[in-house]
Amino acid sequence: MDALESISNDFAKVSAKQASSAAELASTLEKLIALMTTAREEIARQPSSLASSLALLKQATTSSAKHLTSQQEDFRRAALKHEKTLRAAFKTDLDNIWDPRAFDGHEHTLDRAIGAHFVREGQFAIAKTFAREGELDPEEGLPGQFADLYTILEALRRGDLSGAIAWATHHKEELDRRASGLEFALHRLQFVQLLSGGEREAALHYAKSSFGPFSLSHLKEIQRLMCSCLYASRLHTSPYADLLHPSAQLDVQRLFTREFCQLLGLPPSSPLFTSALVGTLALPTIVKMSSIMKDRSGLEWSQAGELPVEIPLANEQRYHSVFACPVSKEQSTDENPPMLMACGHVLCKFCIDRLSKGNSNLRFKCPYCPTESTASQSKRIYI
Amino acid sequence: MDKGKLNYDGLFNLEQPLLKVPAEQLKKAARISQRYVEYVMKEITTEVNKLSKSANSCSPEQATKSLDDMVVRLQKLKRKLDDTKAEEALYVERTKVRLNHLKELMTITSAESPAYLQWCQTRLDRMLVDYMLRHGYTETAAKLAADKGIEALVDLQLFADSRLVEEALDNKNCTECLKWCNDNRSTLDKISSTLEFNLRLQEYIELARCGKKEEAIKYCRKYMIDWQDTHMKLIQQAMAMLAFGPDTQCEPYKELWDESRWDIIIEMFKSDNHALHNLTLQPLLTMTLQAGLAALKTPSCYSDENRTINCPVCAADTFGQLAQDLPCAHHVNSCIVDRLSGVIMDEHNPPMVLPNGYVYSSESLQALAAENHGMVRCERTGENYNIATARKAFIL
Repeated sequence: MDALESISNDFAKVSAKQASSAAELASTLEKLIALMTTAREEIARQPSSLASSLALLKQATTSSAKHLTSQQEDFRRAALKHEKTLRAAFKTDLDNIWDPRAFDGHEHTLDRAIGAHFVREGQFAIAKTFAREGELDPEEGLPGQFADLYTILEALRRGDLSGAIAWATHHKEELDRRASGLEFALHRLQFVQLLSGGEREAALHYAKSSFGPFSLSHLKEIQRLMCSCLYASRLHTSPYADLLHPSAQLDVQRLFTREFCQLLGLPPSSPLFTSALVGTLALPTIVKMSSIMKDRSGLEWSQAGELPVEIPLANEQRYHSVFACPVSKEQSTDENPPMLMACGHVLCKFCIDRLSKGNSNLRFKCPYCPTESTASQSKRIYI
Repeated sequence: MDKGKLNYDGLFNLEQPLLKVPAEQLKKAARISQRYVEYVMKEITTEVNKLSKSANSCSPEQATKSLDDMVVRLQKLKRKLDDTKAEEALYVERTKVRLNHLKELMTITSAESPAYLQWCQTRLDRMLVDYMLRHGYTETAAKLAADKGIEALVDLQLFADSRLVEEALDNKNCTECLKWCNDNRSTLDKISSTLEFNLRLQEYIELARCGKKEEAIKYCRKYMIDWQDTHMKLIQQAMAMLAFGPDTQCEPYKELWDESRWDIIIEMFKSDNHALHNLTLQPLLTMTLQAGLAALKTPSCYSDENRTINCPVCAADTFGQLAQDLPCAHHVNSCIVDRLSGVIMDEHNPPMVLPNGYVYSSESLQALAAENHGMVRCERTGENYNIATARKAFIL
């Protein structure tokens, strides 16, 4: 981004000027104080030098005053210029992009959602403070279960896997039903930890006792792990160096969080975070659109049923099926549901009615293939 | 727009307050240093000049005394400058941290990278602190900022200062706020603020409320007359309200006597304070959440049978309520999410329609059939079908 680059380069000058002016002001003042003190001593010692000392001092004071003010003025100008640059760089007005009343009446709900977010993220102390200040119910959001999650995660971060492994073994049945790779991932991490810690014997022993149940599902990986033992002394320069990558550790932490939340019936990441993440992606588009729309209809669109523009979502943020009719481009509703035609193509009900001219036995051609069919042959589908 | 590609300009644009707030503070601090240096140095120069001119007539004792006096003043100037320059340095440092925070974003290439998620986490944290500060949850704000090490990215001090003014107003005391108006007069004039007049009017009303009518009139003469060009009507009403008394039901005097005028003044101060520091009127958090929830919201979020646990808007007791008055997302292309596995269907894993009209992905149905001798159970209706009866649908 060029704007940021140039602001940043310009600001380096402001910063340098601030530092140099601070040093200059201090040293100039010091010198002037020293001069004045000397002049005073001189006059006290030799009253006859009064006129000459004062004349010298007058000169020094005038030039110091000039220097001091010009130093500070230079810096002030630089700061002013920086502020002006910023004003020019940001042209959009952020205040009028959304109806400020959109959350009216829901202030407490938002506070509750934020409180739940803190619990969700394991920030229990903050959640407590916030519950007090925001007058929320401190029990909300099940801190008890999350406390377990964060104790185990904390241990994981320190490299202590015992808590996580105990949890995974305890919930083995549920995890297996969902074909989760968590348990094996934990054992693998433990094995690599032993190996890289120089305890090859212990690692082999651990492999023997733990990898057995996974021989069917993870044979390839187990073979690879066993081969890595050959390089135990210099694992980080071996073909198996990837086992030591720090992201392996992070992946396990993430996997653990996800599985833990799923078993509790909760989404793997905080809903507040998800919403903010999508919002951050969506806002630039909305800012732009709102600046175009405002001239025409004010903020009315923010109360309409549908956003006027499409916000592209990442696949993992698409939680619901959406059917947009390929002919009318309209999203389906209960009155206008998606209909499967005899050929397998899907249109919305209104389009089918239009193509069949309201006659359920009239044969019409599918807009996408040569097949002809009637409205009575098409049937509603539930996506 | 490509998925995963970041709109740097757009994101940068949202961060106006982040850079503008310290820039404004720096400007102000520089001006304070400047005025102080100019003021003291002018005095000292004049005095030295005077002393040097009268060199022939003044005694050495007078001269040394005067010089001693000036040295003390210069030392005071130096001490004060040490403070103001340190304050300037603080804002410079803060600006640097914030610029680096934004630069970090510019080095991130994809919206799906862990680095971006990390950046967004920090962004959420500073939006939360901002929200807390604006709502007066000061302790939570400070704790969160300290915990996350983002003190330089949020404006704790700024809000702490304005909190003092708000509390004073809450106790029906205008002094702090009038002082604030005085400190920021030029900027307030620029945004044509009426805060100061309203404070004066309120002090007048309070005098009248205590029955000190004469003092009230004196006060009006002294402080309110200057505003006659712009606020003549209100001044006239203020005069007339004395005749009606606090218990009147007659508008507009009833409104003037009403104690809720204090709340209006607090709101006025807040909005002027935000404008002064280039803060947005609404917290960035609510704007972001509104945009995000609208982008996620679909009609399905409010129907019981279509709720999913992962979707924030489906959480009926929290985000579902917040999103109630927001528009739904707009989609021009279909996107069919498999109810069983949560994956998005495509040509490699096409949608299949069961005889009852319910759609599932081909892969999920095959997995079910493999376990159950070719039979699949519709998760939503509980009906059982042979997988051979499922038809492929073409959803364009």
